[in-house]
Amino acid sequence: MEIKYTIQGYLVYITIATYVLAFVVTLLRRPKAGHAIYLLGFAVAVISYGYRWMHVGHVPLQNLFEVFLCLGMIYPVSLFCKRVLRVGGYAADMLIGAIVLFPAGFVFHAQPQRLPPALQSWLFTPHVAVYMLSYIVMAKATFQAVCQLVGKNPKPGENLLPPEQATYTIVCVGFPLLTLGLILGSYWGKLAWGDYWGWDPKELWSLASWLIFVGYFHFRYMFGKKHPRMNSLWAIAGMVAIIITLLWVNLSKIFSGLHSYAT
Amino acid sequence: MNKLRREVMWAALALIILLTVFSIYGAFIGAARAEQFFNRIPLAVFWIAFTILLIVAINVFPRLVRVPGLLLMHAGCISILLGGMWGSRAGHALQNKFLGNEKIRTGRMTIYEGYSDNQVIVENEAQNYLFSIKPEFESDLDHRTVSEELRQEFEKHQMTLSQDVKVMAKPEGNAWVIADNLSAYIARKEGEALNIYAPTKELPFSVRLKDFRIEYYEPANLEIEIAEGQSKTIPAEVGQEIDLGGELGKAKIVRKYENFKMSIEDGKRVAFDDPRPGSNPALEIEITAPDGQVITQYVFSLMPGFGHTQSKLKLTYHRPLNRAIRDYVSELEVVRDGQVVAEKDIEVNHPLSFGGYHFYQVDYDHEAGRFTILSVHSSSGLRLVFIGYWMLCIGILWHMWFRHILARIKSKK
Repeated sequence: MEIKYTIQGYLVYITIATYVLAFVVTLLRRPKAGHAIYLLGFAVAVISYGYRWMHVGHVPLQNLFEVFLCLGMIYPVSLFCKRVLRVGGYAADMLIGAIVLFPAGFVFHAQPQRLPPALQSWLFTPHVAVYMLSYIVMAKATFQAVCQLVGKNPKPGENLLPPEQATYTIVCVGFPLLTLGLILGSYWGKLAWGDYWGWDPKELWSLASWLIFVGYFHFRYMFGKKHPRMNSLWAIAGMVAIIITLLWVNLSKIFSGLHSYAT
Repeated sequence: MNKLRREVMWAALALIILLTVFSIYGAFIGAARAEQFFNRIPLAVFWIAFTILLIVAINVFPRLVRVPGLLLMHAGCISILLGGMWGSRAGHALQNKFLGNEKIRTGRMTIYEGYSDNQVIVENEAQNYLFSIKPEFESDLDHRTVSEELRQEFEKHQMTLSQDVKVMAKPEGNAWVIADNLSAYIARKEGEALNIYAPTKELPFSVRLKDFRIEYYEPANLEIEIAEGQSKTIPAEVGQEIDLGGELGKAKIVRKYENFKMSIEDGKRVAFDDPRPGSNPALEIEITAPDGQVITQYVFSLMPGFGHTQSKLKLTYHRPLNRAIRDYVSELEVVRDGQVVAEKDIEVNHPLSFGGYHFYQVDYDHEAGRFTILSVHSSSGLRLVFIGYWMLCIGILWHMWFRHILARIKSKK
C-alpha cells in the first residue's frame, strides 16, 4: 500500500471518488445525476490516462499501473453494453471502475519498474490487458446473474434484455478474451520456461475458470432457459474462480508457484 | 434432442465438471505433484475419453460441422489434447517403443564456456541401460564403497572409475548413484538383477557455449585517466581492449573477480576468486607499453584508488551496488560432425530451437559465470498444440464476435 502524492496520483483518486459518488447518487434514486457524475469521472479518467501518455511518451500499456489506469476508463464498456447489447447495469459499472482503479492508486508503482528478465516480452502487456478486460466483462455478467437470482428486472420502458439473456450475451463477449488470455499465457510459458503448460496453481485456477464458463455454455445449450437459476449460478461460479485466480493465488502462501510475484 | 445426443451432452458436461474439479485439486497440491497427478494412468484414460468424446460429438451433432466457429473450437480442442498426449512422458515412451523414436523428452545439460557437450541428464525418465552386475555387489554399494571387483566389472565395459568415485543412496531406495568426476552411473535393483544405467542420454548433435554473461540495467565500466582531466571508458568485460595512445600503450581486461582474494604460494602472490560468501569485485588489467613491457594491475570497485603500485595510470572500476539484472545471455553454437550448423545467443524469452529440441537457460555458475545450465525440451506434439490454439481462438472469436459484427454491418446496409 502506498499513497501517490503526485498529479497522476491525485487524478486517480479524484476518478475513484467521482465513481463512488456517482454510485451513491444512483442508489439514492437520482439516476440522471448519477449518470452525469459517472461521465465526469470518465472525463477525469481520460485526462489521467492522457497525462500519463504525455508523461511517458509512449502508449501507456507497459506495466500493471498503466493497464489498470486504462481499465479505469470503463464508461465505453457501459455504453457499448447498453447501446449495442441492450444490457444495463450502470450503477455496478461505476463500482467496478472504482475497484479497477484501486490497484493503480494504491498497489502498483507509477515509476516504470525495471522488469526482471522473464517479464521482458511483447506478450506481457497483451496477456495481462486481455485478462483484465475479460475480468471486467465477466464482472458485469455476474452482476446480471445476481439480478436474475434476486428477480430484479429492467423497467419496461428501458428496452433492455432480461437478466438471464443479458448474462449470456455478456459472457459471450468476455469468453473470447478469457480464451485469448489463457492461450497467450501458455505460448509465453513455452518461450520463457520451456513448457506451454506447467501445472502451476495459477494456470490450473485459470483453466478451472475457463472450464466453468465452458460448462455454462454446454449446460445452457442443453436446457436453454428451463433452469434460469442454474444458468446464473454457473456464471457466478465462474466469477468466483476468476477472483481466486486473480487474488488468492498471488496473495496466499499455500499456492506457491511460478506466478507468485505480485503482491 | 434425440437420446444419443442427449447422452453425449451429459457425458460432455460430466467430463468438463470432472476436469474442473481435477484442476482445482491440482492447484492445491502444487505444480510438481499436479504434473505427476495429471500424468497418471487413470488421468491418461480420462484424456483419451475426453478426446474420443469430442470426436463422437462432431459426428453426432450436425451443428458442430455446419457452424464453422463451433467446428473450429471443438476440432481445436482435439488437436490440443492429441498434441499434449503425443508430447507427454507416456507419449514419448510409446513412440520409443513402437516407432523406435529415441527422443529425450526433457532434461538438463551443464556446459562450460568454450566447451561443447551432448550429454543430457534425464533424471525422471527411463534411463539408458548399460550392463548388469552380480547381485552380490549390493552389500558393497550399501557400504558406500567401490570394491576392486566392481571396478573391474566397469573396466570390462570400457568404463574407468577414478579414485574419487563416490557412492550415494537414492532416496527411493533400491538404487545407488555412483558419481565420478564428470560421469555418473545409477545402480538399480530390479527383481534379482542389479542393473547399471547412465543417467544421461546423448543428443544427436553437440551444443557449444561460446560465452555466458549477465547483463545489468546499469552497466559496469572501467575508466582510465590518460591525462589530467581526460579519460577513456570501456565496458568492464573480459577481453575488452583499448589503445590509450602515445607512450601509454594498450590496456586489456583479462579477468574479472567477484570476490577478489590474494594468497602467497611459493613466495609469490596469487590472485583468486574466493567462492565463499563475500564481495570484492575487481578487474585484472594487462597494460602493454609500446616497448612491449607488460604490467598487470588490479582495480577494485569497493576500494577506489587502491592497488596502483606498478603504473602511473589512474584506473576506476565503476560498478553500482545491487544492480538489477536485465538479462542472462548464453552464446550457443550447435555442432554436428565438426561443423557449426546453427548459432544463437539465447536470452530469457528467446530460446534456441534445433533438431526437434528447444534449449533454455535455467541456471548458471553463480560464483564465476563459467558455465550455464540449459534445460532441453522435446518439441514433439508442440505443432499440434499450437495449431489447436489457433483453431480454438479463431473459432471462438468468429463464433462469438465477428459473425455478429458482420451480421450487423450487413443488416445496416
